[in-house]
Parts: sequence; structure tokens; C-alpha cells
Amino acid sequence: MNRAGAAAAFIIAIFAVAAPFFLKPFGIFLISIWAVLTIAAIGLNLTLGYAGQVSLAQGAFVGIGAYAVALLTQAGYPFALAFAAAGGLCFAIGWSLGYPALRVQHHYLAFVTLAFTTLVFLVLRNEEWLTNGIYGINGIARPTFFGWSTRSALNFYFLCLGTLATLSAATWWMLRSPWGRAFVALRENPIRALSLGLDTRRYTLMAFAIGSSLGGFSGGLYAPLVQFIDPGSFALGMSFNLLLMVIVGGSGYFFGPFVGALVAVLLPEWTRIAQGYYLIIYAALVMVMMAFCPSGILGLIDRVSKVISRSGRSAPALGAEGIGS
Amino acid sequence: MSAILEVSRLRKSFGGIAAVDDVSFEVREREILGIIGPNGSGKSTLFNCVLGQLGPTGGEVRIDGRRTTGMRPCDLNRLGVSRTFQLLQVFPQLSLRDNLILAGQEHQGSMFSRLIGRADAGLGEAADEMAEFFQLSHLADEPAGALSYGQQKLLDAAMAFMAGPRLVLLDEPAGGVNLTMLAHLRERLQAYHAARKATFVVIEHQMEFVMALCTRVLVLAEGRIIAEGPPHDIRQNPKVIDAYLGSSQ
Repeated sequence: MNRAGAAAAFIIAIFAVAAPFFLKPFGIFLISIWAVLTIAAIGLNLTLGYAGQVSLAQGAFVGIGAYAVALLTQAGYPFALAFAAAGGLCFAIGWSLGYPALRVQHHYLAFVTLAFTTLVFLVLRNEEWLTNGIYGINGIARPTFFGWSTRSALNFYFLCLGTLATLSAATWWMLRSPWGRAFVALRENPIRALSLGLDTRRYTLMAFAIGSSLGGFSGGLYAPLVQFIDPGSFALGMSFNLLLMVIVGGSGYFFGPFVGALVAVLLPEWTRIAQGYYLIIYAALVMVMMAFCPSGILGLIDRVSKVISRSGRSAPALGAEGIGS
Repeated sequence: MSAILEVSRLRKSFGGIAAVDDVSFEVREREILGIIGPNGSGKSTLFNCVLGQLGPTGGEVRIDGRRTTGMRPCDLNRLGVSRTFQLLQVFPQLSLRDNLILAGQEHQGSMFSRLIGRADAGLGEAADEMAEFFQLSHLADEPAGALSYGQQKLLDAAMAFMAGPRLVLLDEPAGGVNLTMLAHLRERLQAYHAARKATFVVIEHQMEFVMALCTRVLVLAEGRIIAEGPPHDIRQNPKVIDAYLGSSQ
């Protein structure tokens, strides 16, 4: 891990641990949502930012994970098992979706994944015997581990934060392994990668499936966090929102999703003081941001820090590309 | 000496036009074969067919006697067939060292072992040695995109050699490279060839480069082989002068 990356992780950790003690219950709920959606955004960043595949299916994977945990825990299975099943199921579905879908790329892949999201929404809505249709699933219990109950908002937040820390550490490990190098190679020049012996198809599928499983894990926490889920939560809006987080934060930057999710969760709340206009203001801010820094907030910081140092040495700030040696 | 690469009756058509038209040749172990020809004579298409980047319309390719027509580039590469590109094809955001490690990492272990293994896939030293060999050591930590054109050309060649290939296809290695860099590149290619007993096939426009490097030359025009022989003979072949040298000089 390079020094800027370590420093960023340390600062995020301090803020994340200290924040809930200064917040009201709704604030704690918001930062829990932040932690949960960051997990899904890390998954999408892997698919989009590292492997370069545009996916509009991440919200659907969050939905699949959420329903898996809700249904399994209500059927009496322990949370840990249901949570693992959510990730595993999404990995398997991601792999089987990617197998045919990754024959196409860019905006074609975006359309395939868009269709998939719609399909998942329809299944969740129409298969009432399983999902209870538009009425959704109510009263999803928060788990207890060895006598430590996560029923309180504070405890559940720490469960989310702990999971986020574990999964992001695992992702960091993967991105600093030869796989991370291969993912960047796929995005930058797939033809050259192929000529160097990289099985680009297998790596792309792997990135997609692992990204999907992170979506599933995110959903696995989302369900007990909000305690009520319905199909509408996981329609296209969620996928677009996750895409926004990745791009606003800085796609291809390891910490991009953390920043992007923070913006996407907090900005709408802060602009709420403008009452009826708050979504318009939020949308305008996002448009301005995209126009002036298409590489996202971390991309902007990276650029500014390069201008300041001016020595021409371009050590990527904040662990960009995730390859520290 | 036995043939490492056999191309027989290879055809590749785009629509009604045959870019490669019934081409057959052999590449012997340890030779440096040059392929020359005017623009549009089908040299790059021929390479792409041999390397699996394009599916040929007809004919076949054998490597070590094994039929490889239709194999994917990544599988061919793992059989020990490597290439460089006409246009710059490095990974600009990866450091020079990471470019080199990437070029070797898929040649060892399984995909899973690469996930849990060392970050440099155990290739850090080999990458440094390769950088040293091409005199690029001082740039090892620079992103490849920050290197000069000539340096990227050298890196491209270094990447092709990282996995210790037996057969290397070089597509216009001298294209756009200044004379000093060109001499350096040629000298490094010869040094590598001598040290590692590799076989090279080189597509090139720069005649001096071909004459100095290659042991045998094939001339392609309009998708067909029109001449073949030692560089000295090729230079004097009237058909070649007519098709290529005559028109360009």
C-alpha cells in the first residue's frame, strides 16, 4: 500500500468510527446507508473503473442480495449463512449473466445489463409466492452475534462498517495482486493484453462476477438496515445511483466509491433545506461536477496535487489504480 | 534445421478483396526472417492471421507441427509465440515495471495462484533485468505513458520478450524511431537473439534495418509472395525493385 493510500484509509477509518457518536439516529441511519452502498459501489468500480465494463445491473444485484437475506433469515436460517449465500448467489448469477453478455461491450453491455435490471425488477414484483410482490417484505430482523445484538442503530452501523472494512481490504488485496494489473490492462488495451497471454474473457468475467457478489453483500446488509424492502427500491434508479457514485467519486480510484457514496447519500439531504427544489439543486450540482471534473472528485484532487508538485513525477495520489508495490 | 512456423496456403479476404492470397512459407528455428512489401501488401494481415487476431478465410498455420489455426491469441502466447505492434501498444497508466511484469505473469501458475501469490508474481527481478537489458532501468517506476515514443517502442519489444518466447513476430519495430534509437533497438534485438536462441519474424519498411538484421527476406506484393532469399539477393531482384524499391526510391 502506498503512503497516500494508507493515509486516506486511516483518515476514513477515524471519521467512520467517530462519526456516529456525534449524530442523531437519522444521521446514524444515513452513514449506515453510506457504508452499505459503498460496498456495492466498490463492486461496480471493479467492473467499471478497473475492468472498463459499463454495467447498469448493480442495483439488481443489491436487490437479489437483499431478497436472499430477507427470505432466508425469515425462513429461519442464521444471518451469517444468508449473507454468505447472498454474495455467492450474486457471484453465480453475475458469472452466468456475464458469460453471454460480455461478448458485447460499452453501451451494448449497458443495454444488456439494463434489460437484466428490468427483468429482476419484474421477477421481484410478479413472483408473489416468493417475494410477496409489490407489498414487499416487512420486519426483517437484525442479527445477533454471540450475544451482541445489532438491533440498535449504533451497533448495526458498526456491523456495516466492519463488513465494509473487511470487503474493501479483500478488494485491495485482489487489486494489488497480479489480478489488479490484469484488470487495468483489460481496460487500457484488451488487444495487447490478449497478445501477452491474458485470457481477457476470463478476467473480465471474474471482475464482473466479483463486482456482482459485492452488490449481493451490500444487499445482504441493506435488507436488515431498512427492515422493509420492495421491488421498487431495486429498479433502475438504484443502478443509476450506484453508477453516479462510482463516477462522481472517481472511477478507477480505489477510494472513489467511498467519496462518491458519501456525496450521493449526503448531498440530497443537505440540499433538503431548499425544500421542494432539493432534487433539482442536487441534479444541477451533479451536472456541474461532471462538466468540470469528469474524472470525479478524486480525479480532480489527483490533478490538483500534480499541478502543485509540478515536478512532473506522477505518483498517483490516493492509491489510484490500486497498485502499490 | 526444423521449421518452427509453417504457413500453408493462407488466405484472408475482406469482402471481395484478398488481402492475403494463397501464401505459404516456413520459418526455421533460430532464423530472423524479414517480410517486406509496399503498403497494403498484406503484411500485417498475414501477422494477424498467424497470431489468431484474425480468422483466416482459408489455409492453415502450424507451430512446431501443431495446427494452431483458430487458436486465441492468449493461448498462442502461452505456447511461446509473442509479438510487438506497429502502433504503440503499451499500458500507459501502468509503470514500466508493471508493464513488464504483466507481460510475464500469465505464463506461470494458475489464475487462482496469481490471486493469492505475490504482488509482483515473482517477476520483479526478471522485469528489472529486462529493463536493464533494454537500458530502461532508470524509467522503471514511470508510467509507460510518460515515456518517449522510442522508449515505448523499446518497452513494447521488451514486453514481447518477457516470457522467454521461442518465436517473436515484430510488426514494424523501426517505424517512426529516430536513427540513434534504431541502432540501439537493432543491436538489442540481435543481442537477445544471440543470447536466447529465439526465432524472429520481422515486418519492416526500413530497408537498412531489414538488411542488417535479417538472415532471409520474403517479399510480399498484393497479398502474394513474389520473392524470397538472402537480403543481398533480394536487393537486386528486378521483380522486387519493380514492386517495391523502384517505386519508393
